[in-house]
Amino acid sequence: MADEKSKVTDKASEIAKNIWLAGVGAYGKAVEDAQGRLEKVGKEPPKLFRELVKAGTALEDDAREVLETTVAARNSVEERINRVRENFHMQRPARIEDLNVLHKKVDQLTRKVDKLSKALAAQGIAKAPAARKTTAAKKSKAAVKTSASRPAAKKKAATKTTVKKTSTRKKASTTGKAATSKRKS
Amino acid sequence: MKTRDRILHTSLALFNEEGEADTTTIDIANELDISPGNLYYHFKGKDQIIAELFQQYEQALSHTLTAPIEQPLSADRNNVEDNWYYLYVVMEEMYQYRFLYYNLDNILQRYPDVKRGFKRLIQLKRAALYAICQTLLRQAVIDAKDQQLLGLVDNMTLNLTFWFNYDQLLHDDRPPQVTIHQGVLQLLTMVAPYLGDDELDFYRDCETIYATMLQSSP
Repeated sequence: MADEKSKVTDKASEIAKNIWLAGVGAYGKAVEDAQGRLEKVGKEPPKLFRELVKAGTALEDDAREVLETTVAARNSVEERINRVRENFHMQRPARIEDLNVLHKKVDQLTRKVDKLSKALAAQGIAKAPAARKTTAAKKSKAAVKTSASRPAAKKKAATKTTVKKTSTRKKASTTGKAATSKRKS
Repeated sequence: MKTRDRILHTSLALFNEEGEADTTTIDIANELDISPGNLYYHFKGKDQIIAELFQQYEQALSHTLTAPIEQPLSADRNNVEDNWYYLYVVMEEMYQYRFLYYNLDNILQRYPDVKRGFKRLIQLKRAALYAICQTLLRQAVIDAKDQQLLGLVDNMTLNLTFWFNYDQLLHDDRPPQVTIHQGVLQLLTMVAPYLGDDELDFYRDCETIYATMLQSSP
């Protein structure tokens, strides 16, 4: 706990020192010093803390104030950076990498749709060959619209299984077919 | 919200919209629909309101500005862009208290305490930008050393501090997002000559967004 505190206090006072030195104009050197001291801190924090206490109450007060708020402030800065990042990604134009990701997704979807339509065609020949073939043909033409046609294909598969189970509901299955073909257009 | 907070809130809005010099305590009381006596009970004059608003501002911005000094914003080259996003964060925070920047010299002359605080903030801005540039240098994102780097930091600080004033003089009232985005773009323009090709992608994106913004805003 003591280590933890002295570490943070030290960081805080380094900040204060940086700022102060910046005003004096000894800028580059100040930061070098600060970095050197920060590295030292890792090894011997208690000694440095004592030094800091000696350095004066004004600095100590500054340090304590920053100590209390520094963790919360850090979090809020990170949160806000994340918010800006999200906002930025919505606004910026697409890059090649983004397009590549999308291409891959489209390829995957196309493959799935092809599989599904083959399966459908194979099963469909027995029941309603004409209707199935036309829908399958449409599907491959509409490969670009993969994301739209995939759920439709799934639903069709679902209606098929229900048809098998309940032979009495053939009428319902034909209306279902009509609905799915409507959805595609 | 307490009356005291409401006074501060409304004052800030009026200062930002109408300008600090043109806003009196009577205006503030009217806007809040309270009596000047009631306002006087909380604040003895505009001085006190300004002092308190500035204190809020200094505290908030100091916290934001110490973040990159305390710890690099980007752990490695993969999230270099976080440094640029951070500039948005700073500018957005400054924008909330933009009345200070619109009439800076005048306000600093009239309020010595604000002047002292403002000097501290400028030094802190400089220190924060320096810390960011140091990180970028260490991660080999930029290639600028010694005097060049210090010059870059000072130019960025200058731009950051006077951007709102400049933008208002040049364009009167623009949508806040345009002002802020161009402000960040200007800062990046200063860094751009020192960037490698990889990091320039982000800069190009910013340019494109800005062009789109200009087209879509009247």
